[in-house]
Amino acid sequence: MIHAGLNTYVLLSALLFAIGFFGVLLRKNTLVIFMGLELMLVASTLALVAFSRFNGTLDGNVFVFFILTIAAAEVAVGLAIIVALFRSRRTVQVDELNALKH
Amino acid sequence: MDIASLQTLAANNDWLAIMPELLLGCIALALLALEIILPAKLHSRLPAVALLGVLALLVFQLLGFTAGFVESESFNGLLVHSREGQVMRVFFLLAALLVGVIGTISLAKQKLPHTEFYHILLVVTAAMMLLVQSNHFVMLFVALETVTIGLYILVSYFRSSPLTLEAGLKHLIMGALSSSILLFGIVLLYGVAGNPELTGHTASAMNLDSLHAFLAANRHNFLASVGIVLVLSGVAFKIAAFPFQIWVPDVYQGAPTPVTAFLAVASKGAGFLVLLVLARTFSPYAWLLAPVLTLMAAATLLFGSLGALTQHNVKRLMGLSGVSHAGFLLMGVVAAGTQSMAIGAIYFYLFAYLLASFAVFGVMALVAGPDDADQEISHYAGLAKDRPFLALVLAIGLGSLAGIPPLAGFMGKLFIFIAAFKAGLYGLLTVAIIGVVISIYYYFSWIRAAVFSSSTLPDGDATARPALTPVSFTVGLVLGLLAFGTVLLGLYQGVLGQWLNTR
Repeated sequence: MIHAGLNTYVLLSALLFAIGFFGVLLRKNTLVIFMGLELMLVASTLALVAFSRFNGTLDGNVFVFFILTIAAAEVAVGLAIIVALFRSRRTVQVDELNALKH
Repeated sequence: MDIASLQTLAANNDWLAIMPELLLGCIALALLALEIILPAKLHSRLPAVALLGVLALLVFQLLGFTAGFVESESFNGLLVHSREGQVMRVFFLLAALLVGVIGTISLAKQKLPHTEFYHILLVVTAAMMLLVQSNHFVMLFVALETVTIGLYILVSYFRSSPLTLEAGLKHLIMGALSSSILLFGIVLLYGVAGNPELTGHTASAMNLDSLHAFLAANRHNFLASVGIVLVLSGVAFKIAAFPFQIWVPDVYQGAPTPVTAFLAVASKGAGFLVLLVLARTFSPYAWLLAPVLTLMAAATLLFGSLGALTQHNVKRLMGLSGVSHAGFLLMGVVAAGTQSMAIGAIYFYLFAYLLASFAVFGVMALVAGPDDADQEISHYAGLAKDRPFLALVLAIGLGSLAGIPPLAGFMGKLFIFIAAFKAGLYGLLTVAIIGVVISIYYYFSWIRAAVFSSSTLPDGDATARPALTPVSFTVGLVLGLLAFGTVLLGLYQGVLGQWLNTR
């Protein structure tokens, strides 16, 4: 059995975070951007659990539950805004959402 | 963990210490309950219930309702009740009250439910009050997210307008991005500070005091400095500091005017308090903190001032000039690293900024038509002739924001400049003075439109302004008090100064 150390987890979580971050910056579809945002939160969660296990403290594991709740609230509000926007503009592509200019 | 230790933990939960926040939450819930119970014709009274509740809490807070808990910790170190916390509670309650008053003007022009607006406003205010008193990263993050998610809803509240929804979406993406960056920074700091292989590692790595002790023992840890930069970036988004200010003009323009005011004043004030707390926690890393914050302050000042020059929509103008105000405050935060008087200067600046901004936003809400995003400077032409009172309030508010003596904004800037001078930040001071000069130019083009130009415009009815809203007694009284307070604070700072020192 391969034993994964702390560095592996932190590296993986940094990678996930980077994928999410560049997904938010580079993708054009609002829903995909939203997935990127969630991926960034999940990356933090993974690192938290790994650190919590390695450091032998429970704070990190407990914090994960708070993050899950917050992510759920964020998704609820975010999807509501996206649906309302789609109803009035018939698009969710960010490059077509540029009415606010001067 | 045995029963006895759990009981000790529970006994440490001092619920009375957070009475103002609890009561705010209760009022918010009572609003929703009342809307169900009361007949529909009484629903128009609910905003008044919310505002009176906030006013009562403000009076209790000013009378020293919770003064007995100052300098104590509650909830096992999750919250620290400091004098700063008491001052900021008053700040947020005042801001919520004024946003509520401006909200009555703006909501009257839309066919939308009113009660939920006040419900979310009160919840967000309570979360801000907890945020500035938190001493633990879990508390800090949860309170910050309650504020942020509440603001997502408020920004897109006028959901019939596509512009507002677009602003809401941009705010949502940017806000969630910044929260994720902040969270990753917190996680890295937690991981490093709890690492058993490092000297001075701590079992409660999320606690800001323990983290401070750990950072003092490890002054050049790479992962910790990455975490600090990420946390600072996340906070910089909230206070709209360069290079994280790109969302400001669009969101400020699309958001309803009262929410724009809330973002500009309360949200920024909360961000700066968090920044002050974090700067204190990260002070062993001053080698990293000072240059990053100095560069950020200089770039924020320049970007805000130059960006505001070309704006003709007043909400975008307020947004970008707010960015340059964030630059002045950041200069105060940099100075606070060595000069403790800078902290008092920051509080004074925040209160002066609150009075002047709400005076301006109040007038903006009255001048705006049914399309809340369409507020041009040209709409203000001839305001002095039609409504001399509104023009006077606007001129005092803008003059204070520009820093014209003898108004409060001038004294605020002066205190910050003195603190920066004492701290030896000469380069930053030069940039700040250039920023002041530019800001006088763009604020005066607005005052000129309102006071000196006639209502007959050269390009005819294309920029005809929407009909002015009649000023009710309450709104007139509030605007008058804001203008009066701005003048009074400029001439005489003793009362506020003494209160800031003794509270």
